[in-house]
Amino acid sequence: MIMAIINLQNVTYKYPLTDSPALTNINLQVNEGEFVAVIGPNGAGKSTLCYAIAGFVPHFFKGELTGIVAVAGVESHQSSLHEWVLNVGLAFQNPFNQISGAKYTVFEEIAFGLENIGVPRDEMKSRVTDAMKLTSISDLADRSPYSLSGGQQQRVALTSILVMQPKVLVLDEPTSQMDPIGTREVFGVIRKLSEKGMTVVMVEHKVEWIANFADRVLALHEGKILLAGKPGDVLTSHLLTDKGFGISRYTSVARKAKEMGLWKKDGLPVTLDEAVEGFSQGRENLAPTQK
Amino acid sequence: MLDNIKKEFSTRTLVLIPIAIAINIAIGQLVYTLKLPIYLDSIGTVLVGALVGPWAGAVTGGLANLLWGVVPPPLQNAYAVPFFYVAIVIGLMAGFFGKRGVFEKESPRWLSVVIGAVFFFALALFILAFVNIDTSAGFPVYPSMKDLVAQYLVVFVLAAVIGAAIGYYLLQNGGYTGLAGLATGLVAAVISAPTSAKLFGGVTGGGTDLIVAAFRADGGSLWASVLAQGSVSDPFDKMLSFMVVWFILRSLPARFKAR
Amino acid sequence: MDSLSIYAARASGLHKLNPVTKFSLTLFLLVLGLALPGMWTSYLILVLIIVPLAIWGKVLDRLTRIVLTISWPFILSVFIIQTLFWGKGTTLFEFGPFAPKLEGAIFAFTSSGRILLIMADFILFSLATRPDTLMISLKQAGLYPGMAYIIVTTLQLVPQFAAKANAILNAQRARGLETQGNILVRARALLPLVMPLVIGSLMEVEERAIAIEARAFNSKHKETSLIEIPDSQVQRIVRIGMIVAALLAIVIRILWR
Repeated sequence: MIMAIINLQNVTYKYPLTDSPALTNINLQVNEGEFVAVIGPNGAGKSTLCYAIAGFVPHFFKGELTGIVAVAGVESHQSSLHEWVLNVGLAFQNPFNQISGAKYTVFEEIAFGLENIGVPRDEMKSRVTDAMKLTSISDLADRSPYSLSGGQQQRVALTSILVMQPKVLVLDEPTSQMDPIGTREVFGVIRKLSEKGMTVVMVEHKVEWIANFADRVLALHEGKILLAGKPGDVLTSHLLTDKGFGISRYTSVARKAKEMGLWKKDGLPVTLDEAVEGFSQGRENLAPTQK
Repeated sequence: MLDNIKKEFSTRTLVLIPIAIAINIAIGQLVYTLKLPIYLDSIGTVLVGALVGPWAGAVTGGLANLLWGVVPPPLQNAYAVPFFYVAIVIGLMAGFFGKRGVFEKESPRWLSVVIGAVFFFALALFILAFVNIDTSAGFPVYPSMKDLVAQYLVVFVLAAVIGAAIGYYLLQNGGYTGLAGLATGLVAAVISAPTSAKLFGGVTGGGTDLIVAAFRADGGSLWASVLAQGSVSDPFDKMLSFMVVWFILRSLPARFKAR
Repeated sequence: MDSLSIYAARASGLHKLNPVTKFSLTLFLLVLGLALPGMWTSYLILVLIIVPLAIWGKVLDRLTRIVLTISWPFILSVFIIQTLFWGKGTTLFEFGPFAPKLEGAIFAFTSSGRILLIMADFILFSLATRPDTLMISLKQAGLYPGMAYIIVTTLQLVPQFAAKANAILNAQRARGLETQGNILVRARALLPLVMPLVIGSLMEVEERAIAIEARAFNSKHKETSLIEIPDSQVQRIVRIGMIVAALLAIVIRILWR
């Protein structure tokens, strides 16, 4: 059996000064190279889950954590935060807040993490150059991080994390604050990383994109796992609409169409392509002039 | 004690301090350009003192004044640099009061009314005393309090009433905080006066210059005028800053304050 | 260079100096200007030391422009107030109710010299030194890394912040907020600006702290630096020399009284 690179067993966590737990009995095993998407309404515990995998829960936030959080066989409560972040990279929504402020150029900003862990100068330079090539921001090297667009800043943030060569990448809604161009840029980078074999756990609302690229989807609700499984299964489940999740508009349209007898396929679509394909199948029933 | 100092400087504090300094400078510069007769350049300092502690507050204040001289124009204000020690003391005092829970304890409304009334009464007393200095004997002769009150009774009553109203509306239940601000302001006035007089003759290019001019015009010596200006501006300014921080702290979610 | 810092990159000898050397020089000139007596001292230092340095650093035009722009309100104020309200002294001339005094003018002249010196001194330093290079040097000399982080971050954040404040101010103005007029009007303009600005930024603190922790900010490893800072024996000697000279100036000041 391949050991999961991320292993959460019976994880329950309560923030300090709160009454109810933010996470209850979370069980999650992620294999190396997998892309797991996490969805859920506000307050479902998605960010907390990210923090738990990334070690900030409990090291940064204190509070009570029970259960096992392990990455590559090491448990988080047995490690210190500054060691843990070398294994798990974390990027989140607001690109502006992820810029350290301590560096004047993008190149130096990306090298910041490597300086902190004492990487020798030559190695730093090559690692930063390579990482920037990977995320297609080599042309931004001499710019000030504060002069960039949101999408560019987010890619710089991702690169700054990648350059530290984490085993696992945790992304908390990385495109929520981007405009469409920025979103495309960031998704492009994430997809490339996943294709290269990086293990990714990503919280995301853009359901269509998840359906195309995620290996698995986790639906969180009130701190518990509601559903887990293939995107096609999870994203079209009735449970989602019952519990107030946002679902793909293609799914809702197709569901309506199914009720009216216009949708012939078994499963419901999540993406545009699936919807087109599914609706095309029903076209044999239409009159010849409408084809 | 070194441990106590270290404990204050968590990562959150290190991140907070630049933001607090930016608050100091942004608001302070705005007030300077609006030519209001106050400074309001210590809100960040007091905030850090209240949220974290005296040492972080001191670092915030000291660095803010020093760095204010080297930020790019139009934000730059070299005048603030020599007063960095005053800002350090403000940060220490705010932290000291913060640790004693002054920013959290609700005071009775009547206390705020009293503080306001007393402050404005004292202010009126101070200003009128200066205005009425008799220099005919070759050296300044200050009029007696009794004479002043008798002569300007209406003014004093008005000052007390206005002060009471301001205390009621501005300080509300933050009487203790307002008092702490007043105290800090008085200390600030005293320790900044020598530098102000020595270095720049009490001039800053800002709105407070008008107050110095007024005192000078009435025959006050340089030192006295500067001290007078400080005693008028500083207590009010610091009281205002403390109150702003008090309002801010009340608007923050509880989770934020648990650091 | 964006307006985020005063720093002006130039290919000059001044720029190539070790940042600690330049900082020591800045402090040294400051001490010199404030300690040595006389109303002309500040001006002498400006003309004999700072201007040549600025020429060497190819930043004289920038320096002059910045210093004059920011110092004129102060100089105007000080001259008006000190000459007109000096009290007892030699009257220069009389017009209407005003009688400007010579002593006041001299005081104003001295004060202006001081402020010009201080401004030119620090701005020259800022023009010729990138702040983080100074911090890196100081860190290597033992400065607490947290302090270095605070200083550089502040320098970058303050202009950002002011831009944010401006945006809020303009938004409020568009909604009808008055900022010109009597004192009450101006004062009222403040509150709707202060609260959102401060509370908004405080909310960012936690995320920013998490972001730098994610970059191993608190790592126990010994730090390395991407940028190499040049230094030389000559500069080391000059630095020590300046400390000695500064102490001497202070001694002279004390003896002069």
